[in-house]
Amino acid sequence: MKWLVFALLGVGVPLAGQAAQIAAVGVENQYADVIAQIGGPYVQVTAIETDPNTDPHSFEISPRIAEQIAGCGLIVENGLGYDDWADKMLAAAPDPSRKVINVQALLGLPDDTPNPHLWYDPKTMPVVAKAVAAGLAALDPSNARYFMAHAAAFDAALKPWFFAIKSFKAGFPGTPVAVTEPVGDDMLQAAGTDIKTPFTLQAAIMNGTDPSPQDVTTQNALFTGHAVKIFVYNQQVTDPLTQSFLALAQAQSIPVVGVDETMPAGYQYQSWMLAEVNALRAALVSGKSTRSLP
Amino acid sequence: MLGFFTSSPVQTALAVSAGAAIVSAVIGVFTIIRGQSFAGHALADISSAGGAAAYLVGVSPMLGFLGVAVIGAGALEVLGVKRAAERDLVTGIVLGAGLGLTALLLYFDVTARSTTGAAVSVMFGSMFAIPPAIVVPALLIGAGAVGATGLIYRPLLLCAAAPELAAVAGVSPRLIGFLHLLILALAVTLSAMTVGAILSTALLIGPAAAALRLTRQAGAAIALAAGIGLVSAWGGIALAYESYGWTPGRTWPVSFFIVTIVFAFYLLSGLRARAA
Repeated sequence: MKWLVFALLGVGVPLAGQAAQIAAVGVENQYADVIAQIGGPYVQVTAIETDPNTDPHSFEISPRIAEQIAGCGLIVENGLGYDDWADKMLAAAPDPSRKVINVQALLGLPDDTPNPHLWYDPKTMPVVAKAVAAGLAALDPSNARYFMAHAAAFDAALKPWFFAIKSFKAGFPGTPVAVTEPVGDDMLQAAGTDIKTPFTLQAAIMNGTDPSPQDVTTQNALFTGHAVKIFVYNQQVTDPLTQSFLALAQAQSIPVVGVDETMPAGYQYQSWMLAEVNALRAALVSGKSTRSLP
Repeated sequence: MLGFFTSSPVQTALAVSAGAAIVSAVIGVFTIIRGQSFAGHALADISSAGGAAAYLVGVSPMLGFLGVAVIGAGALEVLGVKRAAERDLVTGIVLGAGLGLTALLLYFDVTARSTTGAAVSVMFGSMFAIPPAIVVPALLIGAGAVGATGLIYRPLLLCAAAPELAAVAGVSPRLIGFLHLLILALAVTLSAMTVGAILSTALLIGPAAAALRLTRQAGAAIALAAGIGLVSAWGGIALAYESYGWTPGRTWPVSFFIVTIVFAFYLLSGLRARAA
């Protein structure tokens, strides 16, 4: 019954053409998705980092994006240097009523946190969802109950992912894996895997600096010695070195699971994360490679 | 130290850098005698456009460096001017246009394709990230460059040292000049792969300049320059490998070490030359 009421509200309000929608920005499209799921018809969401073929670490700003950020009522940014440019845009267009949700600050993480890919951590989005609901409620108090209820629904929809992580951890404890770059590390750790790739190599690939030969040798040996069962490959941060790792893993018949910096098309945050864990499981159970999510 | 020789990225780096150092040193001696150091530098910088383009279309950067270096050599030849002052001017203008193109292509690399670090790799080299499959084609390019130099050794030297005599002897200075630029393009391709497009000059000019301060005999200078280049390249790789322990888990850029050793050789050769 409750759902029916929400559904009716959801359809009814925009048709009635009442209160203006809140303009919101999710700097990365996974955050935009969370805002959209919670704000429903009362929010007009724009995602900035959406292109799966580019590397968000080396993003360039356009005047149109500056305008969108300057005009928004609520924005979710990742922090940890991942989207510093958004802070500059916000500082250039001050607006005391704007709700700025910096996920790093929200989680209380220090600036020297090595892995900025916070959205792969199962603990992150419930906190973000709560903050988004509170921010939207402050901007549009008449729909506060709607936002709170949808934040709860968002959390409920995360359950299958949490369950998949838990059962992976229980079924395949300490699974040794190799990675290119740290994008999926938080999820891999939650799933109890043992990430064998040296973090210095992951950082070099993430930052586009010269890798050390010692680390490259270590990584190559992981594949040739079959010391890992899965190779987790970031498809958005690639170079000739990551491609050589990919070729080596494939030559050694080590299943590859692709991960992304931003949410691929056709997914919501929850279904995306669940698909990643399912791909890890398929890699272990049947040796199936999922280079990119279908 | 055993790990150094068994490490596959080190082996690849040793092989490719040896080719780059030797070829650059050999052709560098002629480049200095001909007074074309600036052209060599320009050609190297321009080749960065090819490296950037290669990332964009997804082929080996070596093909990109090679293609644009050869086109650049052709452009310098077509625009070729005899008077030195004017030649520098034309070279500078071609250089500016080439680097402008590089800026555009690198922008596309990072915004339209997931090529992290393309700018650093193209400009300053990522020697420990060179795929092992590059070794054979790289060494073939190197052998081609040295072989071609050997074939036209006498006319090349004659044109460099005494262009008037060369014309009398029936050698076309223009043809030889163009062949020199072509071989230069091959050398630049290899050194751009190792120390990056911007730093290629160091391998091209540095060892040859140091050698020419120690001996005025062309053959001896070539051998000496090749030796200095090789020691610099391999010494740089060894130091970069060692630097793993200096700042835990991070190796310092190998290009820095190579260029620094080349510079040290140049300074030392000055002391030696003055003493002699």
